[in-house]
Order: sequence, then C-alpha cells, then structure tokens
Amino acid sequence: MRVESFQPLGLLSTALLLTSCGDHEAASGVETVEIATKSGIPMIHLPGGEFEMGGGKGNEDEHPLHTVVLSPFLIDKTEVTHAMFTSAQLPNPSHWKDDQDKPVESLRWRDAKLYCNGRSLMDGLTPCYDEKKSGLPCDFSANGYRLPTEAEWEYAARAGSRGDYDFGSARKLKHYALFEDNSRKRTHPVGSKKPNRWGIHGLYGNVAEWCQDAYDPAYYRNSPSNDPTGPDAGAEDVKRVVRGGSWKASAGMCRARFRQGKQTGDSDACFTADFCGFRCVRRISEEEFAKLRGP
Amino acid sequence: MRIRPCVLGLLFPALPAALSADSLQERLSKLPYGIVYEAYHGDNWELFVMNADGTGKKNLTNTKDSHELYPQASPDGTRICFVNDAGEGRAVVRSVCVMNADGSGRQTIAQYARQPFWSADSKTIGYLPQEFRKFNVVDYFSKGMRFYDVASGKDRPHQNSARIHHLYNPSFASNGKWITSTVHAGMGYKHAILLIGAEGEQILDLKLRGCRPCLSPDGKKIAWGEDDHKISVAELAVDSATPKPGRRLLEIVHPKDKIYHVDWAPDSRHLSFSCGVPSKGDITKRDTHEAACEIVGVYAKGWNILAVALPEDDGGTGKTIDLTTAGPESFANLTNNGLSNKEPTWLNRTARE
Repeated sequence: MRVESFQPLGLLSTALLLTSCGDHEAASGVETVEIATKSGIPMIHLPGGEFEMGGGKGNEDEHPLHTVVLSPFLIDKTEVTHAMFTSAQLPNPSHWKDDQDKPVESLRWRDAKLYCNGRSLMDGLTPCYDEKKSGLPCDFSANGYRLPTEAEWEYAARAGSRGDYDFGSARKLKHYALFEDNSRKRTHPVGSKKPNRWGIHGLYGNVAEWCQDAYDPAYYRNSPSNDPTGPDAGAEDVKRVVRGGSWKASAGMCRARFRQGKQTGDSDACFTADFCGFRCVRRISEEEFAKLRGP
Repeated sequence: MRIRPCVLGLLFPALPAALSADSLQERLSKLPYGIVYEAYHGDNWELFVMNADGTGKKNLTNTKDSHELYPQASPDGTRICFVNDAGEGRAVVRSVCVMNADGSGRQTIAQYARQPFWSADSKTIGYLPQEFRKFNVVDYFSKGMRFYDVASGKDRPHQNSARIHHLYNPSFASNGKWITSTVHAGMGYKHAILLIGAEGEQILDLKLRGCRPCLSPDGKKIAWGEDDHKISVAELAVDSATPKPGRRLLEIVHPKDKIYHVDWAPDSRHLSFSCGVPSKGDITKRDTHEAACEIVGVYAKGWNILAVALPEDDGGTGKTIDLTTAGPESFANLTNNGLSNKEPTWLNRTARE
C-alpha cells in the first residue's frame, strides 16, 4: 500500500443531494473528496454504500431494479485522455488526436487494461491485471488501477439519484454531456461540460466507457448484491459492458442505467470503434483513505 | 463438404506426389525460387526456407534462445532481413537484423525497431523505429522511418520521418520512387493504404479498404488484404505520376479462415500468403503474445503457407479463388504442420546464381 503516492488536494466537497425534482429523488448526503494521484491525475473518492441499480422501466437488460452494496473506491474525474494514455508508452489508436485533453477512443478492451497496469506501475501500485495469463484476468484485491465494474460505473453516474440522469430531465443533458445533439460528430476535451453532483465529468457522453464485466443481458436477475463483478467469462473473448453515452449516442443511450455489450476487439487488428474510451477506478480501504485525507 | 485447404496436408501427407501434372504444386516445383517464412518450433520462433512447391524445408536460424520473425528476402536473393525478439512481456527488445540467405553472417542493424523492407536494388533496408521503448505487440507501434545502407552501415531518416507515424507493413515499389504501407490512427488517417514518396514529402491515399499492401516486382500490380478473409489484386502502375488502383485482377477468399501476409513472387505471376483459423494467440507458448493472431509474435495455431497463381489471361475480368472450393490446379498448400507458419517472402534463387 503506497498512500504516500497520493497528494490530497484538500478539496472536500459535500454533495448534498437535492430534494425531489422530476426524476430526481431525495437522498442522504454523500461526502466525496477529490484527490490527485502520484501521476497528478484527479480522482474522486466515493465512500461506497447502497444504491438501487437498473430499473423497472427501460430496456429489458436493465431489469430488474435491484439493490447493490459497494465498497469505497476512487474513480477518475474524467475519461482517460491522450496525454494520460501515451504517458504509459502505449500506442494510441484514437481517431481525434488534435487535442491532448480529448479522451482516447477506438480502444480495444485489452488496451484499456494495459493502460491500467502501466499507470499502476507508474504510481507504485500493484497491477490488477495478470499480463502473463490469457485475457488478462483481474485481481480485484490488488491496489492498482482497473476498469470499473458495471455497478461502480452506475453508482458513480447516478450520484445518489434514481432517475435516468443525476441532474434531472433529458432537457438538461446538453449541459452535462456531449452526445449526438451537440457533439458535431466528434470528441471534445474532457471536462467541457458540467460534472455530475459528485464532481465527475463525462459519464453521460463524449465517449462511452469500457467496464470490467462481461455483458449478460440477464445478469441482473441473479447478480450478487455485494460488489458484483459481472458474469464469469474466463479468458473467453466475449462481449464486455460499455457504459455511458458518447458523441454519437442518442439521449436515451446516455441514461445512467443504459447498458450495452460490445465485442472487445482483442483479436481484431483493425478495431476502430471511435466511440469507446474508458476511465479507471481503484479500491481503497477506509484506513488508506483516512491516511490520505490526513488529520 | 469441402475440406479446408489449410488442413489438407495433415489429412494427406503424401499429397504432392499424388497431384496431377497440371497442379499448381507441380508448376511451382519448376520455379527457381524459394520461400522463407516464420514458424514456431520447439518453444521458439525460427525462420525456415523451402522450395516454391513446399519441399526441402530447412531451419535457417536454429537459435534456441533467440526468436526470429518477419523475414524479408532481398530482391537479389542474397540476404534476408528480419526482426529478433529478446526478453519477455513489455520488456521485449525487438531488433532489426540481416543475414545471408543461408543463415550465416547475422548482424543487428537497429534496436527498438521493426518491419524491415528492401529497396529494389537490394542495397538499402528500410525499417520503422518503435513509437516507445516499452514493447507493444500491435503492428502499428511505430514512429518515423529510417534507411540502412547495407554496404556502408550508415543509417539515415526518411526525409519525412518526423511526420511518419503508426505505419505497418511497408515495402518499396520496384522503381524505388514509392513505399507502400498501411497507416492506422496516424498522420491524420483513421486507417488507410498509402503510397509514400521514398524521398520527399509526397503521400497518396490509395483509397483501398484493408491493409498490408504489396507491390509487384514488375511495377504493375498491387496485392493487399481487403479484409480478414480476402486478399485482392488490382492493377497499379507505379511509374505513373500519381499511381491509382485500376482493374481488379484476382480475389482470394476464405469464408471462415483468415488470410494474410500476401507476397509477390519475383515473376509477378505467383503469390504466397498465410491462412488459418482466427484466434488471439496462445500465451502458454513461451515468449508469444496475445492479440490478433496475424500479428508478428502472436502464435497462430493451425496457420500454414499457401500459394496461388495469377490468371493467365490478364485481359479478362477479375477471377475469384475460393480456398474452400478451389482445386489443386488453383492453389497449393506449402506447409501443413500448422505451427504458426506466417509471413512468407519469396527468395529469388536465379538472381544470385
């Protein structure tokens, strides 16, 4: 454990969730803290807790609404950018590289995991993905960076809300997301739109984001309630979950609970899904976070 | 049901002897060429040479602790350049090397580099420096282009090297004026097949779908992988001021297996390529990587080297060779052990004699 690798910014934001407004529902206050990693990348500490995942309405694969309990974790404040990705000495397959602050896209699922490992090593953390094994299996107990589970992603996107978007109705989406109505068919620098109530940018648009889980449309029917990590897919090259809207997505696809599965591209030499990016998370214990925050 | 050509040799080991006189294999046996290719034998990548009909296979490298891949035979048939991998995972150092055609006289000409290619006069080896020091197996992990002069050992950048980014599979045109290559996510292109001026800054997008182009030695044709399951051949006159692909001459297709790594014979009448089932490799094999199995360094289980001949009548419409239905008069299986046989390159045995 390398707590010293972090530099708390001292920016403590208490996200006091608002009372009911449209799809918004009241929720208890959640304290989120922004920190900067050893590499200088801003992350948001989410204290974990219980939330309602999926929904009774919407697409079939979003059913049923079910309770999930998550452990505390850190999540990137923005999607991974070109500047962040190339710092790990990885070839950047992105289409729109005209601005180093734009999110990477066109990434295979494997590329995203290699970045997580590279960033872990740069920060003195233990990589989660075993690069010597097929499919790069994830060790969730390691303290390094990894892709978010689908549950972690939705928890972060909902920011305590129960509606389609944490900010209320779809009419406000243009203020929070770059999607088909306002993207001009391209990506834009991360942080171009308002963050959600927990201070996280880009969850609803710009690029969709790879998650760790294998995609199973029926998974919610029997998924575990504590820290679910998706169906067991072994090393098989199955579809993986992609979450969040993108520059080419409709408003409906930007919903917090919208799910889709995409082939990883790991065995495709010319993978060009220019709407697929990602962000990183890492688990953090109460003790580590206490040290991180300081007195 | 037709038998997959790539496994024909496994089912009928004595196949060459049983072929009729007009089989392609018989015709290939009369050509004064060899074919060099990479294969994974005994936990090791090695380079092999065989006769054009697949007989007389010989391990050219025989290095237990070193991995040789991506052979490219010089047009004069005297030398072979290739890459050598040493180390594991992201610590692999990939180097560009050259040796005599019999495997002797090996020397390293550049480290952290890949995808060497010969000039038509066999005097210069072009290659692509890696984008970063830390190894990555993907084919477009390159930045810039350099030329190595075989006689003097001097090395210089391409005049436009600063702009060159994310190329893979480059090769010279026979007139020395152009280099053709795929670019992926670089130089302002999402994915394209380019002609790059061998000197200067000229770049032409050939507007061909696919990757891994190869120009014929007679300067009149281009072959490339149009998708995972199709190799296409079209007219392309490299001597024109702005070469453009013309009439389609041939398509080689396999509906299920991947077909890759097309290379022209010195006579510009025959093509070799590799073929096998899609996979992402098998990293239980020592010092191999996980990615699309056609990529250099990824173990391609069941892959073999095949050859076809161009249609005799170039004036007709394009012909299609479906490898699942074609007979031995149309194609030849040159290897049959399936040990990741890839990246064939024709060796001109006439030129050096």
